[in-house]
Amino acid sequence: MKPRVRTALFLAAAAGAMPALVRALPHFPAFGDHPSPYADRVLASAPVDRHVQNVVTALNFDYRGFDTLGEEFILLCAVTGVTVLLRGSRGEHRSARTGQVEGRPVIPPGEAVTLIARLFGVATFVLGLSVALHATSTPGGGFQGGVLIASGFLLVFLGEGYRGWRAMMQAELMDAVEAAGALVYVGCGLVGVWQGLPYLTNTLPLGTAGSVWAGGLMPVINAGVTCAVLGGFGMLFIEFLEETRVNPDAEQDTEAPKS
Amino acid sequence: MTGAWVGWLPWAVAAWLFGVGLYGIISSRHYVHLIGCLTIVQSATYVLLLSIGYRRGAGPPIFHAHPPSTPAVDPVMQVLVLTDIVVGATVTALLLVLVLQFHKRRGIVDPQQAAPLT
Repeated sequence: MKPRVRTALFLAAAAGAMPALVRALPHFPAFGDHPSPYADRVLASAPVDRHVQNVVTALNFDYRGFDTLGEEFILLCAVTGVTVLLRGSRGEHRSARTGQVEGRPVIPPGEAVTLIARLFGVATFVLGLSVALHATSTPGGGFQGGVLIASGFLLVFLGEGYRGWRAMMQAELMDAVEAAGALVYVGCGLVGVWQGLPYLTNTLPLGTAGSVWAGGLMPVINAGVTCAVLGGFGMLFIEFLEETRVNPDAEQDTEAPKS
Repeated sequence: MTGAWVGWLPWAVAAWLFGVGLYGIISSRHYVHLIGCLTIVQSATYVLLLSIGYRRGAGPPIFHAHPPSTPAVDPVMQVLVLTDIVVGATVTALLLVLVLQFHKRRGIVDPQQAAPLT
């Protein structure tokens, strides 16, 4: 399709949909005044029946736990897809040399950058750990904490350069952490099945509200999700940054005539 | 006293984000830009879901600092947005990889130059 035809088609569709939207907008439920009986039930139930202060976490890992398991596997599939697509074309070889654009100098990170990255790298890691650990009592949870911890990894790359970063980030370790996290989630569901109850039934002791261990199965699932997310994002970072390296095969080809 | 338009403004913002994102996709000249536009289309769903969940005068659905009976916004919508964001991030990563591969194989990053894959 020609770009002009496509734009014309879009504008025609927009012109058609616009009056309908303008007519419909004032009849939408008013902002901030929308009945949601399901939310009312959950808000009343979570602190009492689950001893959990963060209702979002209770929904995520308990009431809608099975949906989150699906979400977990979407993450797993996407990371697997990225790994297969990139590694398949690049091969298993690794190189610690930076891919260099001709005429552009390679500047090592300055001391100030290293210092700041080290300070903030540790701080980000601790913040991520805290956000993940306090999933049932304060805002946050495994997904947010996992992403924060993985961002800390990127700060290590910024400060230490690629070689130092790769010494820390072992692809096998990230693989194992991610898979173990997903496995913990699946295994948590089987605890209920073992007792003859539906999958993902929360049968562990619920603990006191406000503590890190409140919520029975939730802290365990939360730990699994944290591992899966930080492993998954760590894996994504490794695969994408590997793309900026010199391909060892190509390197041999170019260096062969010199010797 | 807020105007009556505040009642439907969030829906209009969501529709606007969806529209501009879609226009960006159809007029895009670079695949990375196209994926950015797709993210904007998706952010329309964040605005929509969080607006549905909002309740006037209500606090967060986290009862750490205040007692459980306090009015709170809809936590179901917040969970859906969380799922939305995670799925969005992973799909973006996957699409970026496809762009990388496409660029490696064909040397093209402009969707308008790319012939249909056979």
